[in-house]
Amino acid sequence: MQPIVEMRDITKRFPGVVALNRINFQVFPGEVHALLGENGAGKSTLMKILSGAYEPTSGHIVIDGTNHDRLTTRESSQAGISIIYQELSVIEQLPIMESIFVGNLRTRSLLGIPVVDRDAMYKRTQELLAKVGLKRSPDTLVRDLSISEKQLVEIARAIAFSARVIVMDEPTSSLTDEEVRQLFAIIEQLKAEGRAVVYISHKLKEITAICDRVTVLKDGEAVGTRDVANVSVDDLVAMMVGRELQAKYNEKRKGHVPSTTPILEVEGMTRRDGYIKNASFTLLEGEILGFSGLVGSGRSELMEAVYGAAPRKSGVVRLHGEPVKIRRPYDAIKAGICMLTEDRRYSGILANFSIRRNLAIGEQMKSSFLGGLGGLIDFRAELAIAQDQAVAMQVKMRDIEQSIAELSGGNQQKVLLGRQLATNAKVIMFDEPTKGIDIGTKAEFYAIMRRLAESGVGVIVVSSEMPELLAVCDRIIVFADGAQRAEFSIEEATEEKLVRAATHHVSEGEEL
Amino acid sequence: MTEKTTAAERFQALWSRYSTFIILVLILAVFSTLAPGSFLSGNNFMRIFEQSSITILLAVGEFFAILLAGIDLSVGSVMALTGVVAAKLMVLGLPWPIALLLGCVLLGAAIGALNGWLINLTNLPPFVITLGTMAIFRGLTYVVSDARAVSGLPPEFGQVIGGRAFGLVAMPIVIALLVSAILVFFTVKTKPGRNLFAVGGNPQAAWFAGINIKSHTLLAFTISGLAAGLAGMVNVARLGAAEPNAGTGYELFAIAAVIIGGTSFFGGEGKVIKVVIGGLIIGTINNGLNMVGVSAYYQQVAMGALIVLAVTLDRFFGARSKR
Repeated sequence: MQPIVEMRDITKRFPGVVALNRINFQVFPGEVHALLGENGAGKSTLMKILSGAYEPTSGHIVIDGTNHDRLTTRESSQAGISIIYQELSVIEQLPIMESIFVGNLRTRSLLGIPVVDRDAMYKRTQELLAKVGLKRSPDTLVRDLSISEKQLVEIARAIAFSARVIVMDEPTSSLTDEEVRQLFAIIEQLKAEGRAVVYISHKLKEITAICDRVTVLKDGEAVGTRDVANVSVDDLVAMMVGRELQAKYNEKRKGHVPSTTPILEVEGMTRRDGYIKNASFTLLEGEILGFSGLVGSGRSELMEAVYGAAPRKSGVVRLHGEPVKIRRPYDAIKAGICMLTEDRRYSGILANFSIRRNLAIGEQMKSSFLGGLGGLIDFRAELAIAQDQAVAMQVKMRDIEQSIAELSGGNQQKVLLGRQLATNAKVIMFDEPTKGIDIGTKAEFYAIMRRLAESGVGVIVVSSEMPELLAVCDRIIVFADGAQRAEFSIEEATEEKLVRAATHHVSEGEEL
Repeated sequence: MTEKTTAAERFQALWSRYSTFIILVLILAVFSTLAPGSFLSGNNFMRIFEQSSITILLAVGEFFAILLAGIDLSVGSVMALTGVVAAKLMVLGLPWPIALLLGCVLLGAAIGALNGWLINLTNLPPFVITLGTMAIFRGLTYVVSDARAVSGLPPEFGQVIGGRAFGLVAMPIVIALLVSAILVFFTVKTKPGRNLFAVGGNPQAAWFAGINIKSHTLLAFTISGLAAGLAGMVNVARLGAAEPNAGTGYELFAIAAVIIGGTSFFGGEGKVIKVVIGGLIIGTINNGLNMVGVSAYYQQVAMGALIVLAVTLDRFFGARSKR
């Protein structure tokens, strides 16, 4: 069988780095081909060459037997290559129908003048939506859709323009388990139609569940391409990171006994916007407390309320038994409570600041006065703090004066964690700390959390990845509908129990 | 594996750092060639600086509004209102330094704070709020002054504020440079100064990092109002009377200086010192075109073209285009 696309000996150099070194990558009709690698391994660069956004330094791209030195974006889409990015690119303000046909509106002739043919597009959109299993009217505005629904719109759009290769970049990072199952069903269907899917993900279980072949990249080199049927999750981890790290990742947290002294007590927390009603929990010194639950169950919302980032109606926060008044994040940082937010780009990094400034700002706020309006910057101390944390966090960077925006996601996350650690926080709340982060960095994060806990810091982890919670926590609270549903010690917790607790309330009546 | 930097890349690096200075030097060179006798003299350079002092004062205040990805359209009106109020207070018999403190410094800061407070309260874009307050304060200026110039000010006031410091440098220049120097220190060395850049770049991330967005917004607009009040003071001193229509359209000069000074309209990026140069560029163009004998109408054309040119060059060669 002839591949739809074959990338031969692709090399891509950027000033100072070789991003890809002689990569070979083939996509056959009807296959789901996983592209796997840590952050910065070269996956995105390879896909950008495929989409025509980048020109390869050397190598060829063969499409249907025709040889190209590079693709233009037009050639790429004409060849039927369609990329669905993690940050979806559907236009929020438009109805589904128009966002699918934007740039290619169907027209009919009215008195010889081409006018937009709404009826034809409406009908076609209905067909497409039925195909991807999205039960929405073509008139629905895209902004009213959930993330998973928007993703389906993008898939519909790819099909509308007869895509033969659909690249999905971390398609499940914001989806619930049920939505993931739906997506997989659609992928199966695309496969049956002879289309190919390139599946980029860090989630190894998904790769073994849905993919046929897997190509692993590491530092711009191809480690190899394998049939998924013949590899285990452990093999994949080994290919990605090497043997040593694999052991670390699977290491269970055993034998650690947190003290019995509470460090943080939250009582009767109610948010003004009603997302959280009367929530209470206690965190012990040196404990790692996990919060499990579905996306939107109120875990992050609770942490925001504790942190003072969202207005609360009532609720008491006690630190070491003393009530602390937290009305805004500044008060929390002052008291010694830090938060690593879920959305790095939106509420985490200061993209216009250097790594140095990003690392130092936590300590600077903590040591400021007048609600953050007072205080001078000590440049020498700032540099020292930043350098210490950059070393401690092992941030991969060229220069500490470099913009944080130039770092990979995992390294940005390390900088943000370093920012919190520099404040000597007593309690750190991690909200989805390893979302979209490669396995190597994940292992480093887990190690840091454990170290923090052992030094007496209270650690809270909100995560949608149950293996993560089970690997790192002492105790897990399950949240649903803005309230606590269940609590498990690590000994009794299993993925099954967590899922059951999180979904129990919806199993009677409503569909999930 | 490092590749050689190309000439274009080197130019880009140079441009992103020194664009404003390069423009100023180019403009100086052009006028020096066109009118070597009148333009190229120490006296004329002093005159340019003095003429630019009001633009500079307005611009270094405006900078903070634009730094927050906002804008302050009211600075021209604030300049007129503070000038008229201070002049009225002098005419009413208050000692002139106290009249200036109340009428220009405190009133300017209070008006700026009001802008900031309204923006915080309503969550509306600063453009809308200051468009409204621009009209309100201009109207109040006419009410307070009865739409007539306020004159009969104490001569010492004009001699000191409109005169020369130590008989050497014009006082408006000293005031503009002093204010600019304080604001440079504020942006570089203080925490709230640094925080403003964070708020302008990503308010959500700044909030989670512990920065109070509302108090910093209030601060930025207070600085803008205060600087406009000082511009009002200098203006009255130079003219010897307070004109109710003073500063009409000056907000555009201020915004132009901020933009020519390379400040990002998207917030979070810019330098006070470059804004000062931006103000000087505008002053130089006006003065130079006068010297060359170009009509005042064309001066506006030239300035408009320069704004478009400066932003275009920034777009192509600026630091942002690399991302």
